[in-house]
Amino acid sequence: MSHCDERSTDILLYLDNTLTGERLEDFCAHLAGCSNCRERLLEELALTSLLRETRPLYLAPQALRDRVAAAAAQQAFAASRPSDRSRETRVEKWTRWLRDVTPPVFGWKPLVAMTLVLTLSLVFIPGTVQRVRANNFVEAATEIHRNYLDGNLPLQCRSRSPEVVTDWFAGKTPFHFQLPISQSVPESKALYWLTGARLVSYKGNAAALVAYETPTEKISLLVASSKSVAVAGGEELPSGGLTFHYRSGANFEVITWTNHGLAYALVASVTGSPQHSCLVCHQNMANRNLVEH
Amino acid sequence: MTFPGEKRRFVGQLLDEVFDGLYGYAMVLCRDRTEAEDLVQETCFRAVKAVESLQPGSNARSWLFTILRNIWLNQVRQRRTAPQIVELDVDESTLGLAVEASKDPHALYVSKVERDQVRQAIQQLPEEFREIIVLREYEELSYQEIAILLDCPAGTVMSRLGRARSKLRSLLSDTLRTPDRRAKGATE
Repeated sequence: MSHCDERSTDILLYLDNTLTGERLEDFCAHLAGCSNCRERLLEELALTSLLRETRPLYLAPQALRDRVAAAAAQQAFAASRPSDRSRETRVEKWTRWLRDVTPPVFGWKPLVAMTLVLTLSLVFIPGTVQRVRANNFVEAATEIHRNYLDGNLPLQCRSRSPEVVTDWFAGKTPFHFQLPISQSVPESKALYWLTGARLVSYKGNAAALVAYETPTEKISLLVASSKSVAVAGGEELPSGGLTFHYRSGANFEVITWTNHGLAYALVASVTGSPQHSCLVCHQNMANRNLVEH
Repeated sequence: MTFPGEKRRFVGQLLDEVFDGLYGYAMVLCRDRTEAEDLVQETCFRAVKAVESLQPGSNARSWLFTILRNIWLNQVRQRRTAPQIVELDVDESTLGLAVEASKDPHALYVSKVERDQVRQAIQQLPEEFREIIVLREYEELSYQEIAILLDCPAGTVMSRLGRARSKLRSLLSDTLRTPDRRAKGATE
């Protein structure tokens, strides 16, 4: 080993700016008299510069990110599910409620139609859309709801009028969207009320977020084009020709479904009653009493 | 990536930040894109699954790289053969993303060429050199963190890094000897 080879560690420490004190002075004195080490230091500096400029060395493919995000979310939901007994109770509750609200005189299709009646001719406006990184629909809906609760997604349209909110969405989403035009319910008897709406982004496209409140909690409904959404998993609750997917995470309950080219995710707090969130669609309906059980 | 629960959210954010780094590390270990993707995916699953075992204050970045490395070592042991050197099939569409949009076309071209040269040079290094270059020069893990990850003394990390850089300098000598490159290095 030559005398200069012993300076390898000093060179590394010098590159890291961690060579100090007497050792640094000694190294500098050596450099002054050693053209080999000066040349090597220049090459090391050039190498460091080159490596820094090529960061990151590889970029992970977006498809991999999407795959991992979707699978990890599914895994996380599974891990955070309540105990079987508790889960059964809640699922039974939902199932019972779904059965109750599906009498022959008032099937699911009209009910869903009311949620779906949000049909408008709207166009995508990228500049106004807040980007949400989540790719999985349930994950995105939960994250959007959490951000809404935290005040990070303020409503862009505040109104209790479905007509006003419907008009506000006009031209802002790439799908037709219309809120159900409700029969008037006296405010004192209302179990929930519409509070407003905003645009969010889901997989790069505009999606609609509609906000509701009950006296005790906030509920959100995310609506996106089903072309970019895979609705699956969770507890499947078939009803009225539709399949509802129910999940209960650490803090939120989410119900997703698709119909007529739109995907829906209704998110409410676990502490709230599932019936309350469902009243979002059913408050004004003839079978409201069934929901209020 | 978001996950319910505070720890899971933390791991989700961390995975977001270190995702490219994990993929880069997987690429230099496997030298195969499909295997690297599987390795990163498995690492993320294990991390989310094992998140409860992550102690507050522990180095979560190193923890992720350790998980990835352990999975890879297990795979290598199971195969009982060293991984074959394969032609890298890098998605060209992702290359430009790493370069600042403000660069002019010539600068973009130079960056792309240089990145290709660096990748090829790193992939020619022996495995122990490849991973130490990535962990230190790209992921900026400390010598001590790398020592723990590789289960060897910190002195060994330094000497191995010195030899890895020396070999890399030799492989990239043409690139490094250009006047522009030397001037850039000297001014940093």
